[in-house]
Amino acid sequence: MNRRYVVRRLLQVLPAVASILIVTFAVVHAAPGDPVVAVAGESGNEEYYAFMREKFGLDRPVHEQFWTYSTNVLRGDLGVSFVQGREVVDLILERVPATLLLMGTALVVSTVGGVVLGALAARRPFGPFDLGVSTGALVGYALPSFWLAQLAMLTIAFRTGWFPIQGMTDARADYTGLAHYLDVARHLVLPALVLAASEVALITRIARTGILAEMDSDYIRVAQAKGLSPTGALVHHALRNALLPVVTVVGTRIGFLFSGAVLVETVFGWPGLGRLVLSAAQTRDHPLLLGMVLLVAFSLVLSNLLTDLLYARVDPRIRYR
Amino acid sequence: MKKQLTAVALALMFVASACASNDDGDTPSAQTGPTTTVAPARGGTLVVAIGSDPGSLNPAVTSNGGVHTASEMMFNGLVGWGSDGKLVPELAESWTIEGGGTSYRFNLRQNVKWHDGRPFTADDVKFTFERALLRLHSRTQASVGTAQPTIETPDQNTVIFRFANPYAPLLQQLNVTEAPIIPKHVYEGCTDLATVAGCPANKTPVGTGPFKLESYTIQEIKMVRNPDYFRPGLPYLDGMTQRVIPDPGTQLLALENREIDWVGSVPGPDIERVKANRALGTATAPRGSGGGNCTLTGVFNMRPPAGRPGFFTDLRTRQAFWHAVDRQQAFRTVSFSQGKVAQSPINSGITWAAATGLNLPNFDQNRARQLLDQVGWRDEGGGARVARNVPNVPDGTRFEVDWHGFAGDQTTYGEQLRGQLAAVGITLQVKTEDNATFSRNVFNQREFDTAVVSYCNGDDPDIGFRRQVDSRQISTTAFTNGAGYSNPQVDQLLDQATREPDTSRRTPLYRQLQEQLVRDLPYLWLTESAGLRAFNASCTGFNHENTGLFAEAASCRK
Repeated sequence: MNRRYVVRRLLQVLPAVASILIVTFAVVHAAPGDPVVAVAGESGNEEYYAFMREKFGLDRPVHEQFWTYSTNVLRGDLGVSFVQGREVVDLILERVPATLLLMGTALVVSTVGGVVLGALAARRPFGPFDLGVSTGALVGYALPSFWLAQLAMLTIAFRTGWFPIQGMTDARADYTGLAHYLDVARHLVLPALVLAASEVALITRIARTGILAEMDSDYIRVAQAKGLSPTGALVHHALRNALLPVVTVVGTRIGFLFSGAVLVETVFGWPGLGRLVLSAAQTRDHPLLLGMVLLVAFSLVLSNLLTDLLYARVDPRIRYR
Repeated sequence: MKKQLTAVALALMFVASACASNDDGDTPSAQTGPTTTVAPARGGTLVVAIGSDPGSLNPAVTSNGGVHTASEMMFNGLVGWGSDGKLVPELAESWTIEGGGTSYRFNLRQNVKWHDGRPFTADDVKFTFERALLRLHSRTQASVGTAQPTIETPDQNTVIFRFANPYAPLLQQLNVTEAPIIPKHVYEGCTDLATVAGCPANKTPVGTGPFKLESYTIQEIKMVRNPDYFRPGLPYLDGMTQRVIPDPGTQLLALENREIDWVGSVPGPDIERVKANRALGTATAPRGSGGGNCTLTGVFNMRPPAGRPGFFTDLRTRQAFWHAVDRQQAFRTVSFSQGKVAQSPINSGITWAAATGLNLPNFDQNRARQLLDQVGWRDEGGGARVARNVPNVPDGTRFEVDWHGFAGDQTTYGEQLRGQLAAVGITLQVKTEDNATFSRNVFNQREFDTAVVSYCNGDDPDIGFRRQVDSRQISTTAFTNGAGYSNPQVDQLLDQATREPDTSRRTPLYRQLQEQLVRDLPYLWLTESAGLRAFNASCTGFNHENTGLFAEAASCRK
């Protein structure tokens, strides 16, 4: 792979992250509301609020606060959460695994599921299966995840005992080893499926369209003329080329997946980053909120970078430009 | 329902108990204490839902409700609340009030041990107040702190609080919610007591309470029985697990699904269903970790900033507003009849201070229309009335006012009132805001016409009620005197009542005060809210008065 392309692409990451930092900082500080009130509760007096404001450095000018913050960030210090009084880095790191597990599962399920459904639907375009899948995908894409989450909870988990309502593990048991993993898996099923639902819908439609377009190409016609069955042509030739747009979409959907995870985690009581974002925003916990935004922005930039690099690998035309 | 319980073997232990009859659970007194002669069952773990991961488990350095809910069971106050709602000794064995309320002498309980085995002493109490509570606990700082006590420890079992002026409400502020005691030897080395970063012990608390910390993860806080607890035999439970479930709807489903045993509050629309479920017990709760005896209160802006019409500076307009709203109807619709319609400015939970038989304006929309006509608010057709020679309001202004509140009950009340007020020619615009935005608009900049605040009165009018009407508490600080109400006579009565140590002599002072408030109507006292708790019916012995230590004597039948 062309090294210059990679280096140039990597250099673009820096200004992106820097501007995200500036904009977020400005927005967070322009938002109405005093974090001190959120931290101190309703009953403090002036003296107490002043004391807290000084403690957090909120009594200093905003540009000074920004300078302090950004130099700290460069040193890898995201500061201390106003509300929880703990290092933001620690708060984020201890929740990353749970969210990655949920998002990762949803990503795999939706990508594999979407491609398989899309391919099956493309086999007989406008046949009953295709119509069913397409309609289902439309509905799935339109449903808000928090609503779907509650619906799944009420219909599949409540009083059936098939799946638990909440959490990542059983609150009454102390499983270890294999039993622990099975327990987590059982708790993972509903939230992951709900989170995957709208992504499956999107990827199904993109895969289907892509495959149909490829199936109409000359090389497929040649392959079939040489005796390859339609299914064989689809799986061995059309699918690979049709995956290009799927790769793009999956890469850019990480952000959407994360915002979906915020809601799904809240409804299912999944102990991930989602709940942290929500409470940080509500309590105007500047360091925590900024830390989370930086994390998400950075992973978005990173996933876009990966997509580009992957793309360059799959499609040689891109890396020679 | 029992048949549908599946999977988890642990859930099976509740099946038998679900058959057993249980008392209706509506009244706290029916639930509290082992009322039967049968000895409470020992063992088992109570799984409790909490709404957020508190981050820290030191209740002495914050008044944050999340931290308190999660940690109070590991600590004690000097004084607690008995299940009958009366003060009971906790870490203090007894006390005497001297000098007409200027001095309080506490004799501490002996042989109390911290969870790490070290003895509890008077030094711990002094340290807790001076280093933590009076500086960092916002409610205690604003109440006891303002009275500036000096704390003396003549010996290891005695603590004396001295005040320059008599200070009546001290005892009501010494429970585990308002003044949890922490060990000096664990926390004195902290560089910053208020944070986990500056004080790692805030995540690994050492207390004297009935349970001690076993583990704290992002998902749950596990506590185990403290075998050395100073109340012999207690607690009955082997452990208590607090599970973080942010969504109240999910909490309830998890309770009904037997995944957990206790939820602190039931959403309004679910109340009927929960009460009808024989497998669940319920109880109303007068207190919460954010304070107790809360009254949902409409606030009239009597002191608008320059350039903003003074809609409510005229008493008759406030009277008209009162007459126009049907508080009873709003209470039924929005609060699902949980709690009661406020009949006095002071919350009736403070029984000795709340006045009865006050002459609050009744629901009478014709009277409201008459009053508005008198003030100069003309009904010229087309919705809201128009100002014609109304004091402090530019001519031609329409009677369109905003109603600021938090999402949920507070703004739903606004929606209810909007319909009622429209009938008399007042247009109400509901503005839903989060805490920070609300505090800025209402208290900091006073850019509002009406707002709604849940004023938690606490257990003494001096704790949470005073700030509502004291003219010296008209400030930019959130949740103070939002109306901007100022009456020297009221201020004087407040001071008199605070300095009077004899409760029976404080009662008439507060009555006089409330009569004046009803004449002035700076607020619209709507509903005395009460949260409904729900729990697994096979668990009993909860103390619903002493919120912090509610499971101290709880037990679950197997």
